[in-house]
Amino acid sequence: MGYHSLEAVKRVLRTGMGHCQGRGCLRLIARLIEEETGIPASEQKLPRPRPPLKPLPLGLLGEFDEARSSND
Amino acid sequence: MIRHSGFGLRTWSRQLRRTADVVVVGAGVIGAATGYYLARKGLKVLVLERDFPCAGSTGRCIGGIRAQFTHDLTIRVMMESVRMFRGLGDELGESVEWYQGGYLFLAFDEKRKQAFLDAIAIQKKYGLDVRFVSPDECEKLAPGLDPTGLLGGAFCPTDGQANPFKLTYGYLEGIKRMGGGLVVGCEVKQVNKLGDKVVSVTDERGDEYACSMVLNAAGCWADEVGEMAGVKVPVKADRHESLVTEAVERVFDPMLVDYRSDGCYFVQHSGTGHFIGCYTPSPLVPGHNVDATDEFITEMPRRMVRLVPKLAGVKVLRQWAGSYEMSPDGNPICGGTPLAGFYVSSGMSGHGFMFAPALGKLVAEQMTEGRASIPLDEFFLSRSFGKAEAMK
Repeated sequence: MGYHSLEAVKRVLRTGMGHCQGRGCLRLIARLIEEETGIPASEQKLPRPRPPLKPLPLGLLGEFDEARSSND
Repeated sequence: MIRHSGFGLRTWSRQLRRTADVVVVGAGVIGAATGYYLARKGLKVLVLERDFPCAGSTGRCIGGIRAQFTHDLTIRVMMESVRMFRGLGDELGESVEWYQGGYLFLAFDEKRKQAFLDAIAIQKKYGLDVRFVSPDECEKLAPGLDPTGLLGGAFCPTDGQANPFKLTYGYLEGIKRMGGGLVVGCEVKQVNKLGDKVVSVTDERGDEYACSMVLNAAGCWADEVGEMAGVKVPVKADRHESLVTEAVERVFDPMLVDYRSDGCYFVQHSGTGHFIGCYTPSPLVPGHNVDATDEFITEMPRRMVRLVPKLAGVKVLRQWAGSYEMSPDGNPICGGTPLAGFYVSSGMSGHGFMFAPALGKLVAEQMTEGRASIPLDEFFLSRSFGKAEAMK
């Protein structure tokens, strides 16, 4: 269909939007894109790594903010 | 045919590489939608995108769709957009994941309550299904909502949500099916005139695309593209951050909007069940910047859990940032410019996704017939930017 970048495939198929945030699947998809298009996997731009490093509960993150501001 | 360039990827269909009736600058939802409706009128449309479709604001938005505004034209445009969203899956041949879950704006003080009542009075003039609901009804609509301090809310059951990516890609596929094209990895650098009229654009590689019309749909870069044409387009980017949680069982349907200075807004995705939301920072953060902050990743959860305490155990997967491209009065800038053949559709001020179907169709009418079936005069570039939108 013409979606040749990791970012485009992610938007259309939601690959990389789950709990692993692409840690498992995006490298595989880059290899698939390489097979289809010839673009080397190593040259494909990965989506930007974003916090949190691992999934964290809303309650925990919200409390962290209060604890920090009470120490200022 | 595919060619790999240093910045990305370029694809093109041979017969459109150089000429089109309309060149659309930007493959966000506005460019894609307007291009689609132009193509539906029989025009050859070429969309030029410097990164990937949805790379700008569209790909960062949370997917809400509502007609609850205070500006008369916005209400009319959005009622039409909502009507169009219902049928777009069929028209585009691919679901856009439209879900009618409603929008519930919450009032925690008398001033806000009155503002909502005033807004409802305006919206009802146009036949919108909207009403003020009691705190009890708010709790029924949003089970788990903490009613502390709540005076009620403005509820429109016909508002909803959809998928920005599916909509944009759906429109782009439609453009291609109708004989148009999309070129990615192509950054417009020059708008070329002959006399007083647009004749072509040139990209960063020096390739020229001849056309009789150009649509500036470059979102928060619409001012830069405007400059290329010698047209002042007063849009400025404001950064907004968002986050998304893991998918959980269905908790409630409507988008919740809390306008308090430390409020937020979020919705549960209809298909997957994740929560996705945002708050408008205070003070505002001008400038296009997709960096995420430490403050947001703790503050947004705090605000969400305050509103719906039982979400405390739901895990955050990701935060990101993107821009609202703000116009001086918070309303879109659509239509012609002083340069013949050069049109603009930008300044969506955080609502581009929801506007896209109706505005896409109306701007296409404006461009081809000189007027739109819902007159867009109050959104013209030439207006005096006085009438601000109150329900931002």
